[in-house]
Amino acid sequence: MNETSPALSVVGADLPRTDSVPKTTGAAVYTVDVSFPGMLHAKVLRSPHAHARVVSVDASAARGMPGIHAVLTRDELDGLSPVYGYFIKDQPIIGMDKVRYVGDPVAAVAAETEHQAIAALEKIKVEYDLLPVLANIEDAMAKGAAELFEEEPLGIIPAYGQGASGHRRIGPNNCYRFSYETGNASSAFNKCDHVFEDRFVFSRDQHFHLEPFVSVARYEGDVIEVWSSCQNPFPLRKELARVFRHPENRIRVKVPYIGAGYGAKNNCKAEPLAILLAKLSGRPVRFCMTMEENFLTQCQHAAVLEIKSGVMDDGTFVARSGHILLNAGAYSDASPLVAEKAGYRLPGPYRWQHLDIDCDCILTNTTPAGPYRGFGGTQACWASESQVDIIARALERDPMDLRIQNLKSLGEAYVPGESGLDSDLSAGMSLVAGKIGYNGRKSGEGRGMGLSIGFKDAGGVNKPAQARVRITTNGGIYLQCGTVEIGQGVHTALSQIVAELLNAPLDRVSYPALDTDYTPFDQGTNASSAIVVMAKAVEEAALQAKMKVLNFAADQLECSIDDIQLDDWSIRKGNQSYPLPFMIMRYYGGTGYEFTGEGFYKVKMDHSAPLETQCVSWEFGWGAAEVEVDTETGLVQLKQLVVSGDAGRAINPRVCRGQDEGSAVMGLTGALFPCMVYDEAVLINGNGLDYRVPRSTDLNDGFISILQEQGHGPGPYGAKSVGEGCILPVASAIANAIEDAIGVRIRELPMTPERVLAAIDASR
Amino acid sequence: MSGDLVFVSFQVNGEETSFHVSSEEMLIDVLRERVGITGTKLSCDVGACGACTVLLNGKPAASCNTFAWQAANGDVKTVEGLAGANGELDPVQAAFIEHSSFQCGYCTPGMIMLARALLDYNLSPARNEIREWMGANICRCTGYEMIIDAVEDAARREREISDE
Repeated sequence: MNETSPALSVVGADLPRTDSVPKTTGAAVYTVDVSFPGMLHAKVLRSPHAHARVVSVDASAARGMPGIHAVLTRDELDGLSPVYGYFIKDQPIIGMDKVRYVGDPVAAVAAETEHQAIAALEKIKVEYDLLPVLANIEDAMAKGAAELFEEEPLGIIPAYGQGASGHRRIGPNNCYRFSYETGNASSAFNKCDHVFEDRFVFSRDQHFHLEPFVSVARYEGDVIEVWSSCQNPFPLRKELARVFRHPENRIRVKVPYIGAGYGAKNNCKAEPLAILLAKLSGRPVRFCMTMEENFLTQCQHAAVLEIKSGVMDDGTFVARSGHILLNAGAYSDASPLVAEKAGYRLPGPYRWQHLDIDCDCILTNTTPAGPYRGFGGTQACWASESQVDIIARALERDPMDLRIQNLKSLGEAYVPGESGLDSDLSAGMSLVAGKIGYNGRKSGEGRGMGLSIGFKDAGGVNKPAQARVRITTNGGIYLQCGTVEIGQGVHTALSQIVAELLNAPLDRVSYPALDTDYTPFDQGTNASSAIVVMAKAVEEAALQAKMKVLNFAADQLECSIDDIQLDDWSIRKGNQSYPLPFMIMRYYGGTGYEFTGEGFYKVKMDHSAPLETQCVSWEFGWGAAEVEVDTETGLVQLKQLVVSGDAGRAINPRVCRGQDEGSAVMGLTGALFPCMVYDEAVLINGNGLDYRVPRSTDLNDGFISILQEQGHGPGPYGAKSVGEGCILPVASAIANAIEDAIGVRIRELPMTPERVLAAIDASR
Repeated sequence: MSGDLVFVSFQVNGEETSFHVSSEEMLIDVLRERVGITGTKLSCDVGACGACTVLLNGKPAASCNTFAWQAANGDVKTVEGLAGANGELDPVQAAFIEHSSFQCGYCTPGMIMLARALLDYNLSPARNEIREWMGANICRCTGYEMIIDAVEDAARREREISDE
């Protein structure tokens, strides 16, 4: 900020969130709370088999059951395009020829009560012809393995720029490959003094959002109305229009408060079945999944990462290649996008000159994997930042020094054609290392410390954002844009920006609930994009509305707009103050007027950028861990965890802190908790009792976050995203600390006592 | 729904209510669907996550795992019943707001009720006691520290009020 800028009064202040009162008094309405007279409840019959041909579905006995108003099987799909997916359309809304995982829906009913619906499901007879089960990546890639899809489903490969490419069906059950290449890694390895080859395994967490997948649908004439716990309502509308062959402008998606998603609440979930049952029954239908069903609907990508790095004697990083296998589960879902991100992020923020990376999505007979906070970056960072420490130890270098030697500088392009990194990485690392006491630490004898730098591109790819700001006669401000409040505090942050720009107190800004009939189009609440993409559209809309007000006032006061200022909802001219309501009603009449500003933002297309647009911003999470390892039991105790994100300029510092800490604790799940445990293709801990996520008692006062405001972000006032950074470094920082403590390298997540003990035994 | 109907009366946030409930009907369903107050949220449905926590006779209870008849002649308090008659927020609610101790807000009613129960029982909990007590409920958003901050601060505020 330069010295002539006025002091900020709303931006940068720890103001109470704008959703404070509804969320602390029980008044906040979520999709689970939406109810209509005559509303029916949907329940789904799910496949007990991981892979089978559906021979017959006989639902006749269910139709006459008490309270049943609609029964849905593959026989009720006439007139629909009942298969969906992001890039590859392969997932049926209800089982058709095959089922591909335990939990795949095969029939659904709508009844007056959930109990009646469950009773009716028991009467549906399904005959299956069992097929070979592909429980994991290895099974699915084996020579002669059965194919989940015998024929190639419809789909597209997105356009890529310099060095990047996408490919489909290049091997058995391989639904998508992302590749990135720059320089010539294979010949560069020959000139390196040292080449390191390591294999890492990443387990899969489930999002464990406390509000389940839930939708309420009804037909109003030929308009389909859907209330949904959905973070991308406009893409959902587009997908539903395709599935139901229904005009987009006759599908209306409304999004109340969302009980979190962490990436899961994208694209079709509960919506298609709720809509189809509403159509069949002529009644509003609510489909609310159970927590067990959440586990059978979406999860993170398990991964195997093979990574090869060439370095010189002096520690200079030269070349890196990598091959990542993502477990996509039974359907492609967002896997091609996750592959793009995992592959693109594998190098980390270091000065490699040569890169050659492939990332494959392997279909297996398990829960479909999809977007999950970190979006492939978590998997990439686990391998990348673990290997940096392996290299440092082999070269007898301190891992922190080796990082500092090779980190890209502030402003240095990530790869050819890309934008420059917008944080000072060494500064962030020194901060967390200093806080945890990394230098001068005592390593060994079961106690050690490790560092890691989480890294990802932020802001989405080629993402357009639109916003509208309306100001009423009496100065009420509506901020309308498509970013949904999913817990991240975006209503608050964007409203603070608008209030600041309009010299208004925060409570004058309201943020109407998202309704695709009225809200300006948006690509979705994802990719840590709100504060660096949507916020720029919001800023433009607010400034445009402000200019309209000032021009109007200048006309009324017969002066230049240079002579007046907007001061709350009055115009200040010299020592005089002119209330705007009177001025407006004098000109527009007693019923008043609204000033409207529109804003738009999109990064321009650029074929020299690998992803076809330069990355808007880069998100980092610095992590430092201290552990104590019991070599008798393998138990890893986290003594300290220090994380830090760079908010650029924190619009609301306390909200940013919540993002950093919540993100880090999600990262802890993948690091130290059992995650999803499969017995072959059967998930055995997919419920609230058996699935362990961190509780407050799993942390201690050694868990600290430090919010940086380095000031280089592209968002308003220098803001940057913080939603996903601090999940990234946690697992590798802990693994690095374990090696510091006991000299044993853990290469497979989660780092359960059994696995740590096995690694200790193997090292002896 | 099967099961015998039982006539039960209990207080919900200070108001006497009575219903014919089935023997297998859960307290959360009575609150949400019959009383019509939806602040209490259902999540895991097995009493593990605590999103549905209410106070039954002053003690925290997972309403998803409590039969409605178990509340008979009892006193049920939900998040809707915490604020004073004039709308003044409970110190726990005020502290959750002050410390931004929620994000998506889905666990928040349960967290607030759990914290309320702690402070009703012990107005001077140590930070590690708060951590232990709040470990009964799951929040997937915040990482817990800001929730513990709020409970610590609410206890301090209430001690100050009671000292006055």
